[in-house]
Amino acid sequence: MDLIDKQDNFEVIRDQIAAILVTETANQMALATAAGRDPTLWDLRVYLERSAPFEQFLNDPETDSGVPIVNIWVDGSQYNKSASNVMARQKSETVYNIDCYGLGVSADNPAGGHIPGDEQASYETQRATRLVRNILMAAENTYLQARGLVWLRWFNSTEFFQPQIDGRTVQNVKGARAAFQVDFNEFSPQGDETNILELLTTAISRAEDGQIILNADYQYPL
Amino acid sequence: MGLRDQITQDTKTILEDTETGFGWDISITDPDGNTGALKGYSNDIAQVVDPDTGTAITGRAASVALHFESLSDVGLSLPEGIADKSEKPWIITFNDIVGQSYIFKVSESQPDRAMGVVVCLLGAYKA
Repeated sequence: MDLIDKQDNFEVIRDQIAAILVTETANQMALATAAGRDPTLWDLRVYLERSAPFEQFLNDPETDSGVPIVNIWVDGSQYNKSASNVMARQKSETVYNIDCYGLGVSADNPAGGHIPGDEQASYETQRATRLVRNILMAAENTYLQARGLVWLRWFNSTEFFQPQIDGRTVQNVKGARAAFQVDFNEFSPQGDETNILELLTTAISRAEDGQIILNADYQYPL
Repeated sequence: MGLRDQITQDTKTILEDTETGFGWDISITDPDGNTGALKGYSNDIAQVVDPDTGTAITGRAASVALHFESLSDVGLSLPEGIADKSEKPWIITFNDIVGQSYIFKVSESQPDRAMGVVVCLLGAYKA
């Protein structure tokens, strides 16, 4: 077997999901600007496999840009035997968790009253999940721009988390998890095929009594 | 003086002793814009306890503890969390140990009417 020096497709798909989100949010921001809208409402901060990307919300929530944070990580894979073969190709059904975090900071409302941060955090989180779902389920991303590799992409569920009242913190941060399933092919090393077969020469003849005789000359053991 | 009165007086001393204790200058503004300067106990740390597991997790928890009498002395009532968006919240301002000022709103208040102390849990606020 040769040196395994490549990414598996679950890694390729993981990176592809992030690339699609980053590219399309940039495109959305450009469209918003052209339409005279606030482009920051279409912005996302996209991370891969981070444990605490929301750290930047923690210490100075008043000065953070407030752009929602999206963190993509691989949750797990199952391999479908009935759609695979034991030699070269296995069908993987992988779930990627796309975690969305929204920050809300209470603020004075010059028109009267105040803007509650907990409500804002919910709206920011929901806005992030809205953008993620629309981008990844768009027709152009039916195969995540990897047709031939991807069989199917589908959001299994989206779960929103409410903060614990007992652990009330300075920052209002809400979260949501979108479980995104992608079915695709994984391929396995096939080894050096040049030494698998040895050429055999055979001669088939018929004896005088009609019996079929096979003559072959080869070295055994191989 | 009964024990409860004694407790109340001792609590006030503990909270507001800036010379030998943990007393700290705190500014408080009510929803009507009335401001008072008083002393109390302030807290602002970057660690909270997850109520489900009991383990320390990343977060930021800030609070102040104020005495009923001190609030009354500056003409203010008990602070409370204001959910109504049409009203201004209670605003608390105090410095950290190096003099950096922080503005918070009161998210939740927890008065102890036996000891005469109110603990205010704070949230970030942009004035």
